Amino acid sequence: MNKALISVLGNDQPGIMAAVATVITDHGGNIENLSQTLLQSVFGALLMVSMPEDSQCAELHEALKQVGQKLRLSIHVDPWDEQLTTWQENPPEVQPYILTVIGPDRRGLVAEVSTQLARHGVNITNIQAIFKGGKNPMDNLMVFEVDVPRATVMQDLRDALHEVGQRLDIEIDTQHRKIFESVSNISN
Amino acid sequence: MLNEKDIISTLMMVREQNLDLRTVTVGINLTDCVSHDLETFKRKIYDKITRYAGQLVASCNRIERRYGIEVANKRISISPIGVVGAPFSSEQLVEVAITLDKAAHELGVDFIGGFSALVEKGMSKGDQALIDAIPQALTQTQRICSSVNVASTRAGINMDAILKMGQIIKQSAELTAADDGLAAAKLVVFANIPQDVPFMAGAYLGIGEADAVVSVGVSGPGVVKAALEKALAEDENMDLSRAADIIKQTAARLTRAGELVGREVAQLLNLPFGIVDLSLAPTPNRNDSVGEIFEAIGLPAFGAPGSTAFLSMLNDAVKKGGAFASSHVGGLSGAFIPVCEDLTIAESAANGTLSLEKLEAMTAVCSVGLDMVAIPGDTSAEMISAIIADEMAIGVINKKTTAARLIPAPGKKAGDIVRFGGLLGEGPVMAVNMGSHENRFVRLGGRIPAPIQSLVN
Repeated sequence: MNKALISVLGNDQPGIMAAVATVITDHGGNIENLSQTLLQSVFGALLMVSMPEDSQCAELHEALKQVGQKLRLSIHVDPWDEQLTTWQENPPEVQPYILTVIGPDRRGLVAEVSTQLARHGVNITNIQAIFKGGKNPMDNLMVFEVDVPRATVMQDLRDALHEVGQRLDIEIDTQHRKIFESVSNISN
Repeated sequence: MLNEKDIISTLMMVREQNLDLRTVTVGINLTDCVSHDLETFKRKIYDKITRYAGQLVASCNRIERRYGIEVANKRISISPIGVVGAPFSSEQLVEVAITLDKAAHELGVDFIGGFSALVEKGMSKGDQALIDAIPQALTQTQRICSSVNVASTRAGINMDAILKMGQIIKQSAELTAADDGLAAAKLVVFANIPQDVPFMAGAYLGIGEADAVVSVGVSGPGVVKAALEKALAEDENMDLSRAADIIKQTAARLTRAGELVGREVAQLLNLPFGIVDLSLAPTPNRNDSVGEIFEAIGLPAFGAPGSTAFLSMLNDAVKKGGAFASSHVGGLSGAFIPVCEDLTIAESAANGTLSLEKLEAMTAVCSVGLDMVAIPGDTSAEMISAIIADEMAIGVINKKTTAARLIPAPGKKAGDIVRFGGLLGEGPVMAVNMGSHENRFVRLGGRIPAPIQSLVN
């Protein structure tokens, strides 16, 4: 069984998923998992597809490209060998934290924050940006959901992020995820 | 993935609405420290307290960093000294208080509560000595709080004890005249005192409690105010059923945060977790005031007609929300209405919207009682006792906790301002009707019998 990763990007409209999925099915493929998101007006989807042994990624790619042209989408098909990264092979014990960045958008913000996270061995599991503009600090917020390995010294990470915050004139807080869950989710 | 709304509302609670863990309180049983020898007793209680709570401050700091929530106070509650220090004289018990104060300083905790006696039905020799020791004990120490339970629904009201407490409060205030009677602000008289209060000045560890236990007190009047304001902004025709729902939901969320932190601190200290006490306890800051909730819901001021009705609803909704969110809710859980600790309530008292009489009526439906009320320094001890008796009667008959923390501010008259600093805040001296008159009623002493539990009307 061949596996492929398919990414679909472009302006949103009805029928994108129908067109993509139909081509996959017609080529004998099966969608094993998928995730779709909307970023403002932009549609983005990532699909994990299993293909019959005799099929070629290239053919599927060609067929999807035509769909892409019709719907003005950028579609990529990559063979996927399922080889794990070191992090995945030897997953360290982690604690989930929520990192919130409060303040207006700054050039290099994501780069600086994520570089510090990477330097401290922290894995980002999700990022959300909530930029509504205006003066209310809560309307200019970035949320990083991260997994922090036990080996990471929290104080070092906080110090590094604090330094970034000072330099970019933004406020960066790191709180354990449990506080958000326990306060928000009454039925847990 | 957490949703945006949940993240923002949690952040707002912590950052702008003054959600804080008002206190993490470690209860420590001292009954195994008893001794006839004062030095042995002092050494044993010092050792036990510093051993069990040695890591309290460090653990709270760690949890504070992990969750980004401030633990405003770290406190200790102990077995009532009137019981465990029963063999000692009042002079010796003052020494015990000084030892406790030393332990508090050593550990960096804000208060130790439990310089206490339970005398609702009668006074033992130890209780008597303890009560006599209170004025000096609270004057010579900084971090000791004292409470005396003088009444209960099952035992009735010990009027002899109340008469005595009028004098003790007066002496405590006079000994600390330079600080507006500060010692009296650390002393509270109770009816139906709960065994597991983490809040001061009433915290002590009841006899039915574990050897050591961690409890938390959560506060957040600012969070409740913000939730009501938001709901009213979204729907200006919102009715009171909806308001009660909002208070309940907010209380549940606050309780959840408290229980999480309490359990983690307990785990770090390797002690059992006791209870969450969700009480809307104000601090003398804007956006952290119970009085502001009254204004948010549309009352012209705290103490205006309608205030008792709204307070009853607020207190009840807070309890319901807390009880839903955690199976280990205890302590006082509800709404506090201390005068000096709450900016808005202090303002109402200063401009005359709130009288002592209206405040007393409101205590029938709040979770504590006449709290942090400064009264004129020339109020007689008898009148202080009479105010306490009225307040205790409200608790005893209504099967609830009531308390009186009255500060007869030396040299001050009605309308003057007293300043205690820190959490205890500042506020106006409230007028006491006929405060310097004789009051033969309270001098009669004896006990007011426990009330009948049937014929409820």
